Amino acid sequence: MRILCCLDGTNSEPLSKAAALFSSTEPLVYGLLYVIDIEPRKEIERTRERFLRHPSGPPGPRERQMRQAEQFSARDILDEGLRYFPGAETLRREGRPEREIVNCAAAWNADVVLILPRANYGEKPAIGPKSVGHVARFVLDHAPCPVFLVRPLIREQFPIAR
Amino acid sequence: MLLFFHLPALTRTLLISLIALLTLVGIMTRPFQWNEALIALAGAALLLVLGLIAPLDALLTLLHEWNTFLFFLGMMALSALAEEAGLFDWLAAQAARLAKNRASLLYLNIFLLGCLISMILSNDATALILTPVVYVLVTRLRLPVLPFLFACTFIADTASFLLPVSNPINIIITSRFPLDLFTFLRLLFLPSLVVIGINIGVFFLLYRRQLRGNFDLKRLPAPREAIQQPAYFRYTCAVLVLVAVAYVIASALQAPLSLVALSGALLLLLGALFWRRTALRELRGHISWPIFGFIAGMFILVQAVEGTGLTAQFGALLLHLSGNSSFGAVMIGTAGAAIGTNLINNVPMAVVLTSALHTVQHASLAVQHGFIAASIFGCDLGPNVTTVGSLATVLWLLILRQRGVDVSGLDYFKLGIVVTPLMLLAGALTIWLLVSI
Repeated sequence: MRILCCLDGTNSEPLSKAAALFSSTEPLVYGLLYVIDIEPRKEIERTRERFLRHPSGPPGPRERQMRQAEQFSARDILDEGLRYFPGAETLRREGRPEREIVNCAAAWNADVVLILPRANYGEKPAIGPKSVGHVARFVLDHAPCPVFLVRPLIREQFPIAR
Repeated sequence: MLLFFHLPALTRTLLISLIALLTLVGIMTRPFQWNEALIALAGAALLLVLGLIAPLDALLTLLHEWNTFLFFLGMMALSALAEEAGLFDWLAAQAARLAKNRASLLYLNIFLLGCLISMILSNDATALILTPVVYVLVTRLRLPVLPFLFACTFIADTASFLLPVSNPINIIITSRFPLDLFTFLRLLFLPSLVVIGINIGVFFLLYRRQLRGNFDLKRLPAPREAIQQPAYFRYTCAVLVLVAVAYVIASALQAPLSLVALSGALLLLLGALFWRRTALRELRGHISWPIFGFIAGMFILVQAVEGTGLTAQFGALLLHLSGNSSFGAVMIGTAGAAIGTNLINNVPMAVVLTSALHTVQHASLAVQHGFIAASIFGCDLGPNVTTVGSLATVLWLLILRQRGVDVSGLDYFKLGIVVTPLMLLAGALTIWLLVSI
């Protein structure tokens, strides 16, 4: 069984706990996917255009520094993932995360995709319509295989109003 | 060549208006991805070829605006040389160090750093140099990137009327309507603080969930690694402090600020050459030369339109709409400037407004000050409404989305449309209160 785990830099531990729930007669093969989001860089380009600085010539030192930072961060996140999933295959992509995840799931022949509703930067988990971020929502809608949405344990917010 | 023929005034006005309109539409839509400078210069060249503006008038117009051109040059050179010294990287690293591993504190520090850089080195430096530096910083720290990028791009404009040098637009407007430093600060410093406060407060509210965490400072290299040549770095800091003081003195004496910017850039260049941190060729690459063509084209175009009396009529209309009151002047000036900057770009809008505002010189001082301060305020802050550029860009993104292409630029637009009108209203009301005192 091929399980694709979508890392975002904040979710290695909950993903590993969720993955421990899987048992199969076939061997479990884990893939750790991290996508370098290109949207922020597009935003920087848009700012440059607004200030009438259109891209010209080969990338300069700052551009190289930005790429290095992205690669450093991606490596760091995947290495952290490997501590929770020893021996897993690491997959690094660049683009819009939601699209890269579904495309990678198809290309890697994933049997199931493991994803958290949204990146957690320290806030208290909450239920409600905004508890699933746009990336997880897109993956749920477009994935080529079953998706295991790993919601946090938030029993204290129940019962909800009837 | 129509130069050699006599044209009736109406035909002349229509021709000039048509060329100006086509040029502005060209700047908005950028057909075939043409550079705005090319379009502005083509418009100006057409006016010259058709004899709709005399070459001598065009030349005199450009010579008259020497302060603006030289300020742009000095400002870009100063920022580029300060970047070469590693100043921006060092400041960003210090902002992270002082944040005590807390994302929210780092966010606040980035806002404050953006204010400082915009104030002294202009909004260009914050938006174009600090933003990529912050991107590198937060990517390495594994923090959410977009809130930090927006902090930089927004604060660049929000803090761009703290001083006359904080935005080249201020130079364009104050070159025609000189304001002494005291009046500039009296009218615009408090509104600056108000809108900066709103900007920071609203962004903290919007991004509170992403800013709750901590970061590990060990993921960053030590701040000193940003500095490759410590002697040049110290020299740069000293020169920039000198430039900041000189800016204040020159503003107080109403001396041309471009000379301060250029002198500072020259001092930094000498240091950079001495410590072999840059070469002239490299520095040339850091200067955006098409901007000069763009501004030159716009100045000639607006001069031709001014000759037809249209800008005077526009000014009279603004005055009429304001009801000749300081409240009306501030509100109409702010709204007009903000809408205009989002229809075209803030540079052409500032040039158009400076031409139109000649009409208000016969109004009371409060109305005059209201219009001038509101023009600066609206042209500086207005671009934040459409964070993705001009309204044309937004329309294009809307068309793309209708065609089924998922465009995230629109999400950024939503942020601007929510936050900026609030800042414009609060700032305009503060200016009105100050004008009325």
